[in-house]
Amino acid sequence: MKKRMGWLFTGVLVAAFLLVPLGGAFAQEEPVTFIFGRGGDSVQLDPAVVTDGESFRVTNQGCESLLGYDRETTNVIPRLAESWESNEDGTVWTFYLRQGVTFHDGTPFNADAVVFNFERWRFTDNPYHFAEQAFEYYDYMWGGFDDDSIIESVEAVDEYTVRFTLKEPLAPILANLAMPMFSIASPTAIQEYGADYGTPDVGYVCTGPYKFVEWVTDDHITLERYEDYWGEIEGNVERIIIRVIPDNSARFAALQAGEIHAMEQANIEDLQIAEESDDMYVLTRPALNTAYLAFNYRIQEFRDVRVREAISLAIDRQAIVDAFYGQYGEVANQFLPPVIWGRNEDIPEPEYNPERARELLAEAGFPDGFSEVHVLAVDEETNQVIEDELVDTIPVRLYWMPIVRFYYPDPEGIAQAMASYLADIGIEVELTQAGDWATYLAARREGELLGLYQLGWGGDNGDPDNFLCYFFCGIPKPEEGYYDNPEVEELLMTARVTPDQDARADLYSQASWLLYEDVARLWIAHNRTPLIFSNMVEGYIPNAVGTDLYRFVTIVQD
Amino acid sequence: MVRYIIRRLFETIPVLIGVSIVVFSFVHLIPGDPALVMLGERASEENVAELRERLGLNEPLPVQYLVFVGNILRGDLGRSIQGNKPVAGELARRFPATMELSFISLFLASILGIPIGVISAVKRNSLIDTASMVGALVGVSMPIFWLGLLLIFIFGVYLGWLPTGGRLDVTMDLEPITGMYTIDSLLRGDWDAFGNAVKHLVLPSIALSTIPLAIIARITRSAMLEVLHQDYIRTARAKGLHEKAVIFRHALRNALLPVVTVIGLQMGTLLSGAVLTETIFSWPGIGRWLFNSIQGRDYPIVQSVSLVIALIFVLVNLLVDLSYAWLNPRIRYE
Repeated sequence: MKKRMGWLFTGVLVAAFLLVPLGGAFAQEEPVTFIFGRGGDSVQLDPAVVTDGESFRVTNQGCESLLGYDRETTNVIPRLAESWESNEDGTVWTFYLRQGVTFHDGTPFNADAVVFNFERWRFTDNPYHFAEQAFEYYDYMWGGFDDDSIIESVEAVDEYTVRFTLKEPLAPILANLAMPMFSIASPTAIQEYGADYGTPDVGYVCTGPYKFVEWVTDDHITLERYEDYWGEIEGNVERIIIRVIPDNSARFAALQAGEIHAMEQANIEDLQIAEESDDMYVLTRPALNTAYLAFNYRIQEFRDVRVREAISLAIDRQAIVDAFYGQYGEVANQFLPPVIWGRNEDIPEPEYNPERARELLAEAGFPDGFSEVHVLAVDEETNQVIEDELVDTIPVRLYWMPIVRFYYPDPEGIAQAMASYLADIGIEVELTQAGDWATYLAARREGELLGLYQLGWGGDNGDPDNFLCYFFCGIPKPEEGYYDNPEVEELLMTARVTPDQDARADLYSQASWLLYEDVARLWIAHNRTPLIFSNMVEGYIPNAVGTDLYRFVTIVQD
Repeated sequence: MVRYIIRRLFETIPVLIGVSIVVFSFVHLIPGDPALVMLGERASEENVAELRERLGLNEPLPVQYLVFVGNILRGDLGRSIQGNKPVAGELARRFPATMELSFISLFLASILGIPIGVISAVKRNSLIDTASMVGALVGVSMPIFWLGLLLIFIFGVYLGWLPTGGRLDVTMDLEPITGMYTIDSLLRGDWDAFGNAVKHLVLPSIALSTIPLAIIARITRSAMLEVLHQDYIRTARAKGLHEKAVIFRHALRNALLPVVTVIGLQMGTLLSGAVLTETIFSWPGIGRWLFNSIQGRDYPIVQSVSLVIALIFVLVNLLVDLSYAWLNPRIRYE
């Protein structure tokens, strides 16, 4: 009996398989649907409580901040605020809001909604500042919560006017306000759903062109055009489906099979196929990122600028970029990538000169290089390295990142290349893996990556402060390898409160020059991220901060 | 028999407590924590400390453990650290996905593996035997990701017969009942959805069944060989029974004991070990979820999912033990 049931079941399966019309090809049907393939799922759809790009990729289609970024650059443009003005010293900002805007639940967008959101993010005793959620970006961009926040108050002057009062000027305020994390959500929805707001059952309730429909976790998220959207939807997409396909090759196969229209993160071989194909094309996201190799300044030998310079001269960065980044990468000569203002244009390209590197090492007292280094003690209070207190002697270590990040396409391979360049000048490094990503980050935070270590940065809002000050304000600190340079910090702190952009650019340029002279770190590369599209897709523009807007996309029907 | 089952069920309690302690200790003892992973490059001394505090990670470990156990006893699996999603809801979504794929794969592996093993044993040292055992060896050693991608390229891209991944076309709507789409679509009488779900199951279940298929075939073969040398088989043949009856009624049934044990163990392995298949075929199951959660140090997910897997493992083992009695009436449960 059992056996017969088994055969019956098999029979049904086979029959069903045969009866289903063959052909997996994607058939375009109403409504016009744009399907995007990506490697990982969103963490949450309340942009205020997440930090991952995959969450913002979705919320950017439906949630809007007071300001936005221009499609192709990181310049700030009006969005929910139509215009704004500030007092002379930049401490009081008044924003005039767009009228006639509604949230996806039909409730009106107004000054009260803006105040509600900012108070929810800021005050830890606010009933909607859910304790189990981390409003990480508010903390990070606005100097902390409650009374630590640089924002003194956010007030509704009238129904469509909001006034921000700051404790001190904050130069990047407009760039900050344009960030997707500070999208205005429907107060009614947050009150109704509580801590479930943003979870798969609820999604987001904002003002943007596409409203949330469905989230099948780790599978897909469906969005649908919001008919009462205040603005124009330039493209023809009526429905957006964002699919999770974790494996790069499988994602490309789905694109080839016509199951998705576009994808990000592809293998190099697949990109070549796409570049040569007649059915697909490749666009790149401008590089708003920098990969670097950092020194831990507790290593006595690395405190000598000649040694740092020798290491810099020993590593052929152009060869590394050619081999590992291909056509999408470019050598970095400073921390700020070319898409950002405030760069120092006098800094030369990194030189590859092992001869000179050996000379410098000899001058520094290491004619034959070295394979061991000395670890110095640290003052726990000030994080200052104590120059004359030796605590350990260890091999020279080069720590490589255990995962691929967009700025380091092959951390291990690149580390091996670096090690062989260093061996050329007599520095024998030990390639070291510090565990998985969480472990690596923990060791970096504690300043325990005692040697050279890989890491990088991807910008949040296109402001130089978001690159330079994040790393070099408040130094020395363990997570930045105890690097200390009061002059650099002074310049960056001044730039932070200087309203005039040209004056700020000059300060950042000076700071970059000091970091260059000091060989504070080895800047390795900026990497553009390629995206592959089916020929059916028109009008997609990859944005440097990742705010790609699908409302400009048109799906061409055959 | 009923008393036996009840006793066995009670015995699972210490097992689950043990598992919960071991899993809890392991996930908390490995370096790194969720605050770090969430912050990534932004993980500075100060904001990690702050986030740890908010996430309740600064409580002493025994306190955190008791809070976790207390919540479980109240039927609350907690919320994920990343994204604050209710774990129970996520589990209800993903668990059926893994179960569906595992059942089908194990079913495929059994209905193919057992006959192959039987034929190999009966035709020992023949060409068929050698071929199927070499095939089994290849099956055991074939990397799933390689086989999976190969299947995707042949049937998904080149021939275009089958979808490259997922459980259902993303444009298709199916309100879940059990969460297993093949069953749900039948219950709802939605034949389009059923066909679609079956199409999506074909490639991943082939990929996932290769290893258990090979193991089942090999175990069946060796068990059959042993049984075929027993005296009672000779007796059965001597009394003139048809060879088919000898093999299926006398030999196979007795040889099935170790096979059923292995099938039970494979079920456990499939539940937790389907990470690769789930990744390649974009199958939103618990394997990949658990894997990602370990990477992200999302303690509530890791703890709850491990417990559920342990529970299933224990239950499957119980079923295997109970099936012994059916296979061999001499086995009695006290």
